[in-house]
Amino acid sequence: MSGRSTVHVEVTAIEQITPQIKHFTLRPVDRAPLPAFSGGSHVVVVMRAAHRVHRNPYSLLSAPSDRSAYQIAVRRMEESRGGSEFMHTQLQVGSHLEIAHPVNLFPLDKIARKHVLIAGGIGITPFLAQLEDLHDGAIPYELHYAVRAAEHAAFAERLRAREGGRVRFYFDNAAQAIDFDGLLSGQPLGTHVYVCGPAGMIDRVLATARRWGWPDSHVHWEKFSAPPSGRAFEVFLARAQIGVKVLPDQSLLEAIEAAGVEVPYLCRGGVCGFCQTRVLEVDGELLHHDHYLSDADKLRGKSIMPCVSRANCKSLVLDL
Amino acid sequence: MLVTGIKSKPVYAPLRADPGGRYHLLLGSGPGAAPLLQVLAELRDDAPDSLARSRVLFAPGAGADADGSSAAFAAAGVADVRTLADSGALLGEFESLLAASRMGLRLYVAGPESFIGLAMKIALQFNLNTDEIRAQECGSKARRVRCVHCRETTEEVRTNIVQCIGCRRWLLVRDHYSRRLAAYMGVMVDAEAPGQIPAIEEVFP
Repeated sequence: MSGRSTVHVEVTAIEQITPQIKHFTLRPVDRAPLPAFSGGSHVVVVMRAAHRVHRNPYSLLSAPSDRSAYQIAVRRMEESRGGSEFMHTQLQVGSHLEIAHPVNLFPLDKIARKHVLIAGGIGITPFLAQLEDLHDGAIPYELHYAVRAAEHAAFAERLRAREGGRVRFYFDNAAQAIDFDGLLSGQPLGTHVYVCGPAGMIDRVLATARRWGWPDSHVHWEKFSAPPSGRAFEVFLARAQIGVKVLPDQSLLEAIEAAGVEVPYLCRGGVCGFCQTRVLEVDGELLHHDHYLSDADKLRGKSIMPCVSRANCKSLVLDL
Repeated sequence: MLVTGIKSKPVYAPLRADPGGRYHLLLGSGPGAAPLLQVLAELRDDAPDSLARSRVLFAPGAGADADGSSAAFAAAGVADVRTLADSGALLGEFESLLAASRMGLRLYVAGPESFIGLAMKIALQFNLNTDEIRAQECGSKARRVRCVHCRETTEEVRTNIVQCIGCRRWLLVRDHYSRRLAAYMGVMVDAEAPGQIPAIEEVFP
């Protein structure tokens, strides 16, 4: 991460836990205690592949009390832009990686009276660390975990053993679906709902919560999506005085980084607002894909979130 | 001598309905009836279905026209109107209602500042956040003052300096406010020059 130090880690265990998900254990090369984190945190893993550098965020799923190692789980994406492919095919036990310090953009509310956790597929990962915090506490909670089929339910055994009746599984291939209306219509005052999973699931939870009158401050979501691809375009960085070409499957942020210019970031998913960059000139259309700028700001076209947004333009000048 | 501009002092805005809520709970004390009726009128325009899921708890106060205000609430179409003898009884009823309430509730409070503060204190225990609560101050600005020395709370304080009901020290009433305690901070005013009490004035009418 720009402006922040990274930690050099060694892969000390790799386990294939579902047909598409691998579970990695990462220990610091110097064996010093890792930075502390809270449940819901992610790290950005820096992968130095042959022709490009990937920086993908992955939720920490290990117990926050364990500072000797971090654990992450990576699903191999069908249309990988290279990151998950790299994690699945290029790493062996003993490989070295760089990771940025953990950042939590999906924390549990500390004074909630109840927590309802909703996971879809690989979206289970942030909850695994949060459950470590919740397990011995006095606050009631429940986990609803939807996957395509039983064999895709990562960490199912661990969840069944530890959480018992507090976890409920839903298998798409058995026509089991989460009843979002039922789940969100009767929760006691002071409940917080958290969802991590595919975009469709997040959208449904947000819409259902709104329909039942949930205020935004009680609804939390996290989405890790690859930056959308698009047509290649060119950008000029005014302060660095260089032109950069953004390839179709590369994000604007990645292209700027590849040109040697650092942009501060945290989530790389269009949520946190950290990489917001001033647009000085644009001849064409900005393609905003973030969830951070307001609709009015997007129309105004004076800012862009380079982690996910692109442009369809003749020229674009950024204040970098 | 009064320290002003302290950020913890609550600022309340005129009440507006939030049609995004599913259930609406309106609390009023004394002159708070009028703003609550305004909220109900807005709900009738923007979310008429929600009137059936709305409830009013009202404490008219001494000498007020209790029948008149409860009739006005009923005429506004609220499902459930309860008139309580005083704000203490109202807040007790409020607390049991919250314990049985579901997510989707919006809370509206109108009345004297200390009434709002006590209602907010209870709401906070149920983890209601600022996007679920709206309050409008009307009536007395008398403060609840918590003595930082003996931790006793003196009620109905209208002056800049007050004698603590617990330890009898003379306290300067500050703008520092605790939402958890629903009280302003009172600090001994003559600690450095014993017996020298500045002029006492009514500042919270």
